Amino acid sequence: MSAALLEIENLTKSFGGVHAVRECSFSVPEGEVVGLIGPNGAGKSTVVDLVSGFGQPDSGSIRLAGEQLIGKRPDAISRLGLIRTFQTPREWRNLTVMDNLMLARRRFASESFWRSTAHARRIRREEETDRVAVRGILDRFGLAELKNELAVRLSGGQKRLLEFARIAAAEPRLIILDEPMGGVNPVLGARMGDAVRQFAAEDRTVIVVEHNLPFIERTCDQVVVMDLGEVIAEGPFSGLRDNPRVIEAYLGMDLSHG
Amino acid sequence: MYWVSVVTEAGIFAILALGLDVIWGWAGDFDLMFYGYLALGSYLTFVLTIGKPTPPVEYILGGHLPVLVSMVLAIAVVVGFAAIIGAIALRNLREIYFAVTTLGAVSALYLIVENYTPLFDGYNGVYGLINPGQTALNLTYNGYRILLLVVVLLLLFLAYLLVQRLSRSPFGRMLRSVREDERAAAAYGRKVFFSKYRAYLFGAAFAGLAGGLFAIFISAFNPSAWTPQELLVIYAAILVGGRGNPRGVILGVFVIYIGLIELSRFLPSPASRPDFGPALRQVLIGLMIILMLRFRPQGFFRERPGVDPGPRPAVRRPWRLRVPAVAASSDTAAASPGTEVASPATAPASPEAAPAGPARNPGREGQAADDGGAG
Repeated sequence: MSAALLEIENLTKSFGGVHAVRECSFSVPEGEVVGLIGPNGAGKSTVVDLVSGFGQPDSGSIRLAGEQLIGKRPDAISRLGLIRTFQTPREWRNLTVMDNLMLARRRFASESFWRSTAHARRIRREEETDRVAVRGILDRFGLAELKNELAVRLSGGQKRLLEFARIAAAEPRLIILDEPMGGVNPVLGARMGDAVRQFAAEDRTVIVVEHNLPFIERTCDQVVVMDLGEVIAEGPFSGLRDNPRVIEAYLGMDLSHG
Repeated sequence: MYWVSVVTEAGIFAILALGLDVIWGWAGDFDLMFYGYLALGSYLTFVLTIGKPTPPVEYILGGHLPVLVSMVLAIAVVVGFAAIIGAIALRNLREIYFAVTTLGAVSALYLIVENYTPLFDGYNGVYGLINPGQTALNLTYNGYRILLLVVVLLLLFLAYLLVQRLSRSPFGRMLRSVREDERAAAAYGRKVFFSKYRAYLFGAAFAGLAGGLFAIFISAFNPSAWTPQELLVIYAAILVGGRGNPRGVILGVFVIYIGLIELSRFLPSPASRPDFGPALRQVLIGLMIILMLRFRPQGFFRERPGVDPGPRPAVRRPWRLRVPAVAASSDTAAASPGTEVASPATAPASPEAAPAGPARNPGREGQAADDGGAG
């Protein structure tokens, strides 16, 4: 196992009297795909929000490649190399698919007011290299024909693919997918599983929050199981079938068939 | 001279609307303070130019500066003022909460200016900025008004070029991503507040400029000249012309202003009811907004989508060879001449144009002309 990219220690967060996350600790090794599973209300999404800066924990520590993330804003954490998705696709609706991906390339320097005003031509030339990369990504996700469509016109499945294409365009170090399989048919699901493995093959680290256990089994190297805000089990998926706490949390569900 | 006056006024409001469109159209913030910035720019241009007040008239400063210097200073102060309002209102407030906060700010400003006479002489307002520089330029009254029209249209054109360039730039695209989905923009590393804040200050500068021009145009300014309802006319113009499209915004302003001013000449205006005309004007604007939203919600020109020009640098039409000089900027010299301008030999009958065709967005017609140099 390689060194941990993300280390979470004793993370705690309550909303009013509800302990959403309690003394939660786990780590994610670099280059691996880690599934984060658990029943509804287990605190998975809260952990995702805390890691990506969309919420501040009451206590605990989150380190990305050794750097403390607590107290940082979402944009600052994103600039450290983390891209997260949300449970519903959040495409930039009234922008084209092309613009969505060009934005995901994250050329922040070009977005300064001054450079956009005074160096418009130079920026346009620089953007041409990004466009070439983006066209390749669009091909890879089957969106090439739709590149000049507004994102709002895409179907639900196409929006999921756009989400993946944006991640590919952003080239992040750590990817967090929050329920990527919501409303996705099995054919598209297989394609998305391949995309996740492809990210891992490119040495990116992926955390997948998902209820679809076959998808977790197919794509993840490690699984972290949460229930009631706590981590109750960790390890390879195959080792979890017989874990009594996991079985209890899932009310005796057969894990292999979700 | 009637038309000179109408077009000058419309031109000033078009500059104002371009600024507001950056704030509302691009960044998505429904700002109700905006007309206050025009008023502030106007007042400051007055008090920096017209000299010391003679009692009982009273106002601050009372400078004797050249009018152009006053305008620049006024713009700077307006932007500074917007920096304070924006820092408060844009930090965490969005949509209706932002609108209500800025409405509160403009109402407070209005009440203070109207009632605290040492500031800008309260309800009487400031006056006496009559054709500054007319004698120095040795112009007749009419000649001066025509010069003012030319200057306003020139400034409008420059403002348009600047806004158009920014609109298609990474800066404009980033602002629109923040408008479309703030959380996703933050998840992709955008500083949401800072982005909106920059748009806000940039837009406010346009309001300051429009305020200065307005001061010269109407030569007297008091609270009745900037009731908050005036801003709704600008919003209506943006909506009608096409939110997010600079060309549409300018067209919208001219249609609304000239259309309404012309139309109101034919409206009945009984002497017993002097407010009938202005009231009907508001009704007509409301009616126009409703009809536009029903039949053409995107406005005359919709926001230009960021289309991919194709796998190679876009093919230039031969006539474009004349154009690049128009878009000349500080970095034109640095650009190698061969990259941007296709030679006439390669321009016609290029095979690259064909594959890009089918995927193009249908909304592109008529917009392809400035894909390159002018944008």
